[in-house]
Amino acid sequence: MTNASALDPRVERYLGKLDSALSGAPIDEKIDLLREIRSHILDAVEGGTEVDRVLGGLGAPDELVERFRMEGMLSRAGRTFSPWILLRTAWRWAFTGMKGFFVFLVALVGYLGAFVMTLAVVLQPFDHNIGLWVGPRSFSIGTSNEPGLHEVLGGWFPLVITAAAFVIAMATTQFLRWIMRRSAPQTR
Amino acid sequence: MAKANHNGAGENWEAQLRRGCLEMAILAGLWGGRLYGLEILRSLEQRWQLALAEGTLYPILARLKAEGLLQSEWVEADAGHPRKYYQLTAQGRRRTREMAKSWSAFSSTISELVGPVLEEK
Repeated sequence: MTNASALDPRVERYLGKLDSALSGAPIDEKIDLLREIRSHILDAVEGGTEVDRVLGGLGAPDELVERFRMEGMLSRAGRTFSPWILLRTAWRWAFTGMKGFFVFLVALVGYLGAFVMTLAVVLQPFDHNIGLWVGPRSFSIGTSNEPGLHEVLGGWFPLVITAAAFVIAMATTQFLRWIMRRSAPQTR
Repeated sequence: MAKANHNGAGENWEAQLRRGCLEMAILAGLWGGRLYGLEILRSLEQRWQLALAEGTLYPILARLKAEGLLQSEWVEADAGHPRKYYQLTAQGRRRTREMAKSWSAFSSTISELVGPVLEEK
């Protein structure tokens, strides 16, 4: 039996770095992952593959762990309705490329918009100048002293804006769930 | 499919195609029975000429397991160290069958489309 990890310090170093990169992961998942990668390295080396080539195929430990995290996060995010999980996943995805960045932008605009609208509803009883102000070429939600704008919702403001915020939040959530479910895994 | 064209656009298209088939290839590779990670890699490469990096395979296996399509168990191997074997769950078999049907219909359509292209010398 060949024990590559005992024979080759490169494997020991790799597994050590992988262990460090997995700090914060649940202990059972960490142990299982380390065990699987170690088993893979042993099988590959015993099969005749050079150690450097095996470790190169796995990739740098922190990159490998990041791929595990992204696969796991995208999978979980595609099945959740939690805006926090979706936004956090989109944030991490933003660093992987243009697609991820675009998705994060959509998430940010959607949830921020819903939040601002909800805030306006909450604050309106304290400031009756808050409303939906519409002019010839513009509109805004909030307060306005701009001439030419007039408030259009009146007493309907809380109901209409709450409904609009809910629709925007749900649409953002559904879009993020859809795009994360269908996101293809990354290949090298 | 494994050989890259010299043209950059061709390489990108093949990479996109490879990425799209990856999950189906992994699931289909397990249709005949359980395999461990390195066996899956070798099977994909030797039987389907689909070269896949190890650092790509294991995260995907973990995701497929988390989605309930695969189950795994550690087996004490003759090699002296335990191996983690993967096999399809019932849900995984259903998903694989659905993907295979979709792929079969899709590839038939594409084959008809490119038939004249391939016939022309």
